[in-house]
Amino acid sequence: MEKRMNIFDMFLEGARKGWDIAIHSLLPNVIMAFTIIKFFQVTGILKFIGIIFAPVMGIFGLPGEAITVNLTAVMSQAGAIGVLAGLISNGSIDVRQVTIILPSVFAAGGILQNIGRVLGTSGVNTRYYGVLVGVTLLNGILALIIMSILTKIFY
Amino acid sequence: MEKKILDPEPKVSKMTIIGWLSLILAIILFSGTLSTTQDWRSGFDFVTLTGHFGALKEGKDFMGVGGTGVRAGFLLALSLAPCVMLAMGLISIVEHTGGFNVAQRLLTPILRPLLGLPGIASLALIASLQSTDAGAGMTKTLCDEGLITNKERTVFAQFQMSGCGVINNYLTIGSMVFSSLICPIAVPLLVIIVLKIFGANLTRMIINRSSEKGAK
Repeated sequence: MEKRMNIFDMFLEGARKGWDIAIHSLLPNVIMAFTIIKFFQVTGILKFIGIIFAPVMGIFGLPGEAITVNLTAVMSQAGAIGVLAGLISNGSIDVRQVTIILPSVFAAGGILQNIGRVLGTSGVNTRYYGVLVGVTLLNGILALIIMSILTKIFY
Repeated sequence: MEKKILDPEPKVSKMTIIGWLSLILAIILFSGTLSTTQDWRSGFDFVTLTGHFGALKEGKDFMGVGGTGVRAGFLLALSLAPCVMLAMGLISIVEHTGGFNVAQRLLTPILRPLLGLPGIASLALIASLQSTDAGAGMTKTLCDEGLITNKERTVFAQFQMSGCGVINNYLTIGSMVFSSLICPIAVPLLVIIVLKIFGANLTRMIINRSSEKGAK
């Protein structure tokens, strides 16, 4: 069924997939995220968001601006990491804070599309959708708590 | 090596020595445990192999100093391509040499205590760690064929929902900010996987309680 591959073929097949991901998935997402962050920054919206959400995100040792990462994550993981990279590039977030926020992007990431891609495709009973989305959001918050404790203890 | 006679689930693929080696190598490569070594061992570290771009001007690579907006983002995304290609290339080798088969076989006996799922679901579980859509599709098939119950499907879907396709997503998308991490790249990944298991068990408890209530 499958042509026998040597180790080089295996690597090349994956590397080609990696190029597709980088160019077709990451690049457009980063362009979009940097546009939004730049717009927010020059219009002063980012500063405003930072002040409003400073008390909430401060619980986890994060700046208020970091909420944009988690909110974007609900729609798109790649978009969220793009936003995070944008915040790094304009100095809104430091390395310790990047370490704290990174896992939460994946633990509670892509929820809106996954209602279709995971729950819809696998055929889960719709009456459990609320529970599944709720637990996924909870996981995101737990990730922030765990990482803020871990970084405090070890780094 | 093979113990087909004792195998209660013949559908499960076999574990080979190459597969073992490939899985162990993958764990070493991506865990970052050898990232601080300076000798030959550093050749087995993903971040070391990724390397860095040369400096154009003091201490900075081709992205230069002080870039902003969409153009800075474009260069960032371009700068990620080598890292993503290397990660996917290595994962492809692990996949084709049977590394994931070994992982799947190791998972089979612990799926019941860990997630309350039958061992047969291990293949779908490994797939779901790599691809959201593959995992979800296989889950539907498992349920349609009567291999897992409706309740097990819901718990399994919870496991997939949080941190979907996490191995591929983390190593590709996450690589954008790996250079800013102050811990080994494996630590956030482990946290996500632990939370996936926690979330699935929380959902299992919630469903159990609600079905008890329904019975009363």
